[in-house]
Amino acid sequence: MSLLSVQNLTTEFLSGGRWLEAVSDVSFDLQRGEILGLVGESGCGKSTIAYSVMRLLASNARISAGEVWLEDLNLTKASEDALQDLRGSRLSMIFQDPMTALDSLFTVGHQVIETLQEHLGLNLAAAQERALDLLRQVGIPAAEERLGAYPYQFSGGMSQRIALAIAISCHPQVLIADEPTTALDVTIQAQILHLIRRLLVEEQGSGVLLITHDLGVVAQVCDRVAVMYAGKIVECGDVESIFSNPLHPYTQALFKSLPSQGIARGALENIQGLVPGLADRPTGCQFHPRCIHARALCRERTPPLRNAADGQEVACVLYD
Amino acid sequence: MSSMTDSARPLLRAAGLSKYFPLESGILAGWRGAQAAVKAVESVSLDVYAGQTLAIVGESGSGKSTLGRLLLRLIQPSAGHVQYKGENIFAMNRAQLRAFRRQAQIILQDPYASLNPRMRVGHIIREPLDIYREGSKAEREKRVRALLERVGLTSAQARAYPAELSGGQRQRVCIAAALALSPEIVIADEPTSSLDVSVQAQTLNLLSDLQRDFNLTYVFITHDLGVVQHFSDRVAVMYLGKIVEEAPTDALFAAPQHPYTQVLFSAIPRPDPSRRVNWELPKGEPPSPLDPPSGCHFHPRCPQVLTACSSTVPRLLETAPGRRVACLLHEDEEN
Repeated sequence: MSLLSVQNLTTEFLSGGRWLEAVSDVSFDLQRGEILGLVGESGCGKSTIAYSVMRLLASNARISAGEVWLEDLNLTKASEDALQDLRGSRLSMIFQDPMTALDSLFTVGHQVIETLQEHLGLNLAAAQERALDLLRQVGIPAAEERLGAYPYQFSGGMSQRIALAIAISCHPQVLIADEPTTALDVTIQAQILHLIRRLLVEEQGSGVLLITHDLGVVAQVCDRVAVMYAGKIVECGDVESIFSNPLHPYTQALFKSLPSQGIARGALENIQGLVPGLADRPTGCQFHPRCIHARALCRERTPPLRNAADGQEVACVLYD
Repeated sequence: MSSMTDSARPLLRAAGLSKYFPLESGILAGWRGAQAAVKAVESVSLDVYAGQTLAIVGESGSGKSTLGRLLLRLIQPSAGHVQYKGENIFAMNRAQLRAFRRQAQIILQDPYASLNPRMRVGHIIREPLDIYREGSKAEREKRVRALLERVGLTSAQARAYPAELSGGQRQRVCIAAALALSPEIVIADEPTSSLDVSVQAQTLNLLSDLQRDFNLTYVFITHDLGVVQHFSDRVAVMYLGKIVEEAPTDALFAAPQHPYTQVLFSAIPRPDPSRRVNWELPKGEPPSPLDPPSGCHFHPRCPQVLTACSSTVPRLLETAPGRRVACLLHEDEEN
């Protein structure tokens, strides 16, 4: 049984009186001890998947089809009370802006301790002890003194460490990390990603769903990757396979548009046109209007994600 | 820099340029005394050559954006000067400054924040032409249409408001407005950082075509080393207000010399899973510019730190033609 299983998830947003699909029929599994990258450009629906899994969608959004399973628990059917217990314990999330997760009116110590008391039922002394431990683990210098500090007294990198400390405090089985290092400098990014891998994946065997637009981050820390375009997963598989042999024309184009090291200067390849908005998504394959391989068939048929090579699935008629 | 094979004189030259932001108000002012200041830029000297791209890289708080603003006299320096074609821009009178401003333009990271949301795109691009009274009204309109098309927009989009455009299209509007007066030098401060990779590629290609067509000189302020390697001729690496290393792009990427540059490069996640970095963790966080470490600012985080590094300020010395490094490890070689 997979740790987390997303099955045929469709999530819609209400806009101008119409429900528009932000995520369309998306399925993937996350295993224990694995980091799965979810990549795609702005508006592709990757964060919507995260909020759907956490059941933290805004009031103008709804899961209209599909299910999300955490082991044998159906999250899409879980009550709000049950979800409240799960969030922060078995299921945890960190965000791009760590301030989203921290309350500016309370000391960071209070916030870490509160989580520990709430979910693990620790007494104050034990919770304090553990909080100190956590802050040290995530690399906060002079942790003892910093427990009494307020979030504004920390840098962005330090705040993200604290958000991470809270997120991992109750040994979550699944961590959803939504662009956790996008706002941070690269040296700090390296530290945070390293912590996520070591503290969660290696030491606890948790699964991490890492949402990012940075293919470099995916290559460096993920085991598998799902590439999204306009609400759908277009390709999914081992990081090694996808980076060495991208199959979907969108994935191929995305890689070619990277200004990467070692490649001589010259024009970068780019994808013509724009990502379609929610209201004007095309029929058939979402990518066909921008695809250099598009055929008449692509306008009509929505290709399903299917096995194309060892460890690689792709949704494209080229591989039927 | 006489060793440059390109014997051209620099278009823009900064010498001993510093910018301190004093902490005037609040309790800190009294407590720290009159000297309390953030040393955002500290004695920076560098040359920008015509038709080339100089990249300025560094992490947040390194002073790279402040340096960019100094180079355009958008802020006044605390010390030092900037010469444009031999003229000190801080000593320019009103007329000279007006002439300088049409030749030196800036493009900023957030195209939405730099566009007036109540002005139509055509008006935004026309505004510099209006200010400098370029040609007749009809000629200006014609120029706006030509600029729109040149940056890959349609002349019909002159009627649009910024909110109606995507991020990439807005950045094209900023580029068109920056180019309206046919400048010689453009300072681009993280011009593609807020864009998705495919849009970033379109934008970089556009900037590169424009450079070729108009012989533009770019100063590219960025933290993205992929962009730097792809786009620039020379690179200056900043750490806490100072240039720690400067080199031709290829030489720098082949063999970074300053330990900070090495740490920075090793922390970049490269899009190649077959070359996974066993992250030699960059130690600690960048220190506060309010209270920078003594000696070499990088010494508390430096994997190759020497005893002398906490007391000696390293000089930025030439280690090879066109290469400068500020590190005691290399001063030894030099002497």
